[in-house]
Amino acid sequence: MAKDIGTRCVVTGLGLISAIGNNVDECWENALSGKTGIDKVKSVDTTDCYANLGAEVDCDSLDDIEEAKNVDRVSKLCLKASAEAWKDAGLNVDEENAERIGVIMGSCVGGVISVENYINNGENTEDINKMTIASIANHVANYIGAKGIVTNVGNACAAGAISIAYACELIRAGVADAFVVGGADAFAAVPFSGFLALHALSEEACSPFNHSNGITLGEGSGAIVVESYEHAVKRQARIYCDVLSAGISSDAHHITAPRPDGLGQMYAIRTAMEKSGLAEQDISYINAHGTGTPKNDEAEFLSIHTIFDDKNDDLTVSSTKAMVGHCLGAAGAIEAVFAIKALTENKIPPTIGYSDEDVAALSEKAGNIDFRPNDMREKEMAFVMSNSFAFGGSNASVIFSKKENGVSETETDEKIYITGMGIVSPVGNGVENYIEKVNAGYVPDATSLEANVGKEDYDKFGVKMAFYRKLDKFSIMQVISGLEALASSGVEITEENAEQLGMIIGTGDGPLTTVYEFQENISENGTISGSAFNFPNTVYNAAGGYLSIKTGMRGYNVTVTNGAQSGMSSVCYAYNEIKQNRAKLMLATGTDENSRVMNKLYGQLGMIADNAGDAYSDGSGFVLSDGSTTIALSEGVYAESSGARKYAEVAGYGMAHENVPYGEVKGSDRGLVSAINAAVSMAGISLSDIDAVYGFANGMKEVDDIEKNVYGELFEGKTPVHCIKEVTGEARAAASTLTVAHAALTLAGDITGNQKAYFVNRDGVEKTESDTTAYKYVLTTAYAVGGSYSAVVLKKCCK
Amino acid sequence: MNEKELEIAENIKGMLSKNLRIPEEELDYEVPLFGDGIGLDSVDSLEIIACIDSAYGVAMTGVAKEHFYNITSLTKYVVENM
Repeated sequence: MAKDIGTRCVVTGLGLISAIGNNVDECWENALSGKTGIDKVKSVDTTDCYANLGAEVDCDSLDDIEEAKNVDRVSKLCLKASAEAWKDAGLNVDEENAERIGVIMGSCVGGVISVENYINNGENTEDINKMTIASIANHVANYIGAKGIVTNVGNACAAGAISIAYACELIRAGVADAFVVGGADAFAAVPFSGFLALHALSEEACSPFNHSNGITLGEGSGAIVVESYEHAVKRQARIYCDVLSAGISSDAHHITAPRPDGLGQMYAIRTAMEKSGLAEQDISYINAHGTGTPKNDEAEFLSIHTIFDDKNDDLTVSSTKAMVGHCLGAAGAIEAVFAIKALTENKIPPTIGYSDEDVAALSEKAGNIDFRPNDMREKEMAFVMSNSFAFGGSNASVIFSKKENGVSETETDEKIYITGMGIVSPVGNGVENYIEKVNAGYVPDATSLEANVGKEDYDKFGVKMAFYRKLDKFSIMQVISGLEALASSGVEITEENAEQLGMIIGTGDGPLTTVYEFQENISENGTISGSAFNFPNTVYNAAGGYLSIKTGMRGYNVTVTNGAQSGMSSVCYAYNEIKQNRAKLMLATGTDENSRVMNKLYGQLGMIADNAGDAYSDGSGFVLSDGSTTIALSEGVYAESSGARKYAEVAGYGMAHENVPYGEVKGSDRGLVSAINAAVSMAGISLSDIDAVYGFANGMKEVDDIEKNVYGELFEGKTPVHCIKEVTGEARAAASTLTVAHAALTLAGDITGNQKAYFVNRDGVEKTESDTTAYKYVLTTAYAVGGSYSAVVLKKCCK
Repeated sequence: MNEKELEIAENIKGMLSKNLRIPEEELDYEVPLFGDGIGLDSVDSLEIIACIDSAYGVAMTGVAKEHFYNITSLTKYVVENM
């Protein structure tokens, strides 16, 4: 049975900053008049580079917002756009609604300018917390006071578009009322050098669907306030348009190049139309991805022609990248704002840069489709689409509508089970090895632990050298744990089911080691010295892209990043995808890396313990670790049909945020309380039904005190708390997914009998053992610096 | 190969191993680098071009595929164009 969950989602606020303006009105006016923002690059040294153009923001008021004073440029841009959207929406946050309001931001390279500053300017500690994508949404949440679901999407150039889709999914799931969504990226040396090394930069201003000789990088941010129609009407908000549905897919083809046959792009576009209840002739305008590279433009041209030729005689397509450049993780959000403005004002911005000869050549290949060159067009429109395609083969298509149009979104009442798992960890690789080590009472004897992946793993899963040599450690750990989870779930990927199988990759620090090493090289040898080989691994969704390529999984594929809890929020996200019938099986993962670089950065922050010790021992640091854990979640009927083992049922989830300065957790207790209450409520049980907690204590007082305060309040010290980080260390996202896996293995009886546990109270902790055999419901929890929390309730499966 | 060619071939082999993470034991001077051999692709060729330019000042952008066939052919091209 499937129930309709077609809650109307509407846009009530817009914000924009780009090379052609510092607010929506400026950008829109300049886009319509075809003004270019492309000029010689000022912020990156282009000495000896064959290309030197970019679309940089010129704004002297980025620091006017208090929250923006000491953050990376990417967050400054994001805050600028978000503040405009927030003001535009006129939505006030108070104690009553704060937990129902969230922030989801997309980015490709995050705080990479802070990596550059750190390396080039004296290795200042204050740069460290600004380096990753994770901080961006936290700053926006702090600015507006949001206490709901706060996260970032790391799917490179599709990230901004995916943030819009995810927000609507969560509103339709009933777990939130409103979000600020969007994306941001700043002009920086790493992407400039990387695209230069790939020979993907154009010497002239980019020329999408025309000369197609490369991209011109840009920077900026787009922000959109999305909320449920009921919420908007209740507060008498001005409504721009509806967000109908979206399609998200993975090419499973190549880490940088799109599939030449456009298969993945077309699946995303068709899914968006089908779920929006639209046919081909309904779409009036597509704001195309239109990067200007030959491979993108050829594939996208083919996709659009294949779908719309002979079915739509009044379709207009344009690429605003010709004016604002390719703004990477911001692109999908900036272009969504342009698409919404086009829809609501019935005016379409052009693709600029066509000569008379170019226009003549275009008319020959464009057929009936109006690839709008040079001049804006006015026409009445009802539905518009924004497309975004990214490194890693990531595709997203989102549809906006002037009117209500019954979306065909449904929710299954099937239960969702954990049916497989894969573990790469410092105690060894493989689930059986992990069980053996835990049952034997393994404890680490060092304060910095690293997992190793090698020949035995490659041979076991048939990973050839030509494939694995491309991957950095972050990606190879993810691929191996993903393959084990799939194998243990008994899934065979075929042409028929490839689009029904997806993944949510969770990571706290992403590929920061590779980003750092890429920057180290160009800091020493110049922008011209970037490595074409390493650059693809600097994007956060590379790991998910490689896993998709290796397995052939072409369904939903998103990377979420907001600290250590990302590995548990991925479980929440994956659960929702199956629940809302976008997949039959989803992999939910957590992956984070320890390395020379990570050890140095966490060491400088003073977070690495002097000695490996117990949880709740008031230590000053933790055992820094790494690894990758993947959990396979399956819809009930699918699990039955594939004969998969059911380790545990996922009964409910919750995610919440409490505003504390980014980099800290102290004072964010209420965020954990909210996440737990939401998870327990979704599971349809009460706190007294919880038999045990699998928590996030890592030995660092600031972190462990949150658990002491909250479990003391909620469970009064009467519910046993287990700490898996005493076995594998603080592996961040890998640890938070492993917490769920460990709890599931316990409920399934693989991890047996008495386990070390604590009775945790605000005033003290009692170390004990707990008999796990009778557990029926267990709660798993995870934290992130910055105050975001996830909680998942698991239920024992009947034999 | 003469002594100079052997030195260049060994350097290229080291570069392929270090920069493209190809295990040394998989590499000899004759093994095909692309296709069914080591399995390099167009992104790898960009890295090879950048490394050879940096090490020997020999530009290989746009050079015919056969010169990238194996370490021996790369060495021959470098020697002839240094």
